Amino acid sequence: MLKKDLLELCLLQLLDGGDKYGYEVLTPLRAAFPDTQESAIYALLRGLGKSGLTSWYMAPGGGGPDRKYYRITSAGQARLEEMRDQWRNMRDAIASFGVE
Amino acid sequence: MMRAKKARPLTREQYLKKFSRAVRWRLMPQESEEAISDYRELIFQEERDESKLVEELGEPVQAAHLLTDVKAYRQWLKIFAVLAFGLFLLAKWAWMGHSSFYFSFADQWWYPVWVMAVGLALSLYWFRRYGQKNGPLSKRLVLALVVVLAFGAGTMAWNWYVFDSSFLDSYVERYPLIIPWQVILQRELIINGGMICALIALAGLILAKCYDRRWLALYTLAVTVAAVCGFIIFFCRSIDIGYAVRSSAQSYLFARLIPIGAAGLIGTGVALC
Repeated sequence: MLKKDLLELCLLQLLDGGDKYGYEVLTPLRAAFPDTQESAIYALLRGLGKSGLTSWYMAPGGGGPDRKYYRITSAGQARLEEMRDQWRNMRDAIASFGVE
Repeated sequence: MMRAKKARPLTREQYLKKFSRAVRWRLMPQESEEAISDYRELIFQEERDESKLVEELGEPVQAAHLLTDVKAYRQWLKIFAVLAFGLFLLAKWAWMGHSSFYFSFADQWWYPVWVMAVGLALSLYWFRRYGQKNGPLSKRLVLALVVVLAFGAGTMAWNWYVFDSSFLDSYVERYPLIIPWQVILQRELIINGGMICALIALAGLILAKCYDRRWLALYTLAVTVAAVCGFIIFFCRSIDIGYAVRSSAQSYLFARLIPIGAAGLIGTGVALC
């Protein structure tokens, strides 16, 4: 798995926990991957939308203008499950070398 | 993934402006408007520290680059290069009054028409296939079309008057050494008009890519007027005003200019649809 795949996994996992608006998605991912800029994460999020793995809708923000909320689709959930399996396999493979 | 570079402070408005410019040039209108709207939301978050905008989001141009479909963008750059080169030729020909290359099988006055034909065919094909409409028809576009059309029609009318055999006869016979003001005005109209219309066409092309493909109508109309001006300039430079030419110049010229203008108007109509 490349770093891009790890980011995708985290992104889908984050959205699996509930619908989120852009800043809510980008901030924790940037905190987890500090050398990655938000524009790169946004590009990934946009790519997921184009692939049909996420969708979006507008909803009122906290007192301000409407916000764009992202949600995971059923195709996205299937992809998340597949990526979780890949991650577990990779984690086990690495652990077999004694890497903690 | 992109790594953080040394941050250059930008205000939220400056960032959004630079990002919007970059993304409009690289993406299709609807996609770019969507990305700009998303970035506006991200940038104007209350929690966002303005001084860390570039550090957190990256340089605006890099951010736009990350959203770019590289293959489609390169294809657009090639199309743009060809069309812009055509406009450069039209402007150069209007200014110089001659071409630095010569094809023996055709008179030089047809060169601007070839450029126009290639420009119309290529731009209409590309924008009808990949371009996007964006909202209602712009009033500025309508105004710009009216201005270019009025200029084109006025130039044609003035040339009709100047190439009239009775006018040519009277001034050649009476004042063979003096250039009458009508001819000076005609020359200024076609030289400056050809150059200005090439520039307007370039603006139309950029606006069609960045905002709404219907701006291509401005390109098609302006390139037609520039080609007509180029045709007349080359024609004037090539002919020797003898009696035979004076009597047939108007009919020869307009039998060609009218179909060229009609083709440009049809192209303009297609671009607006």
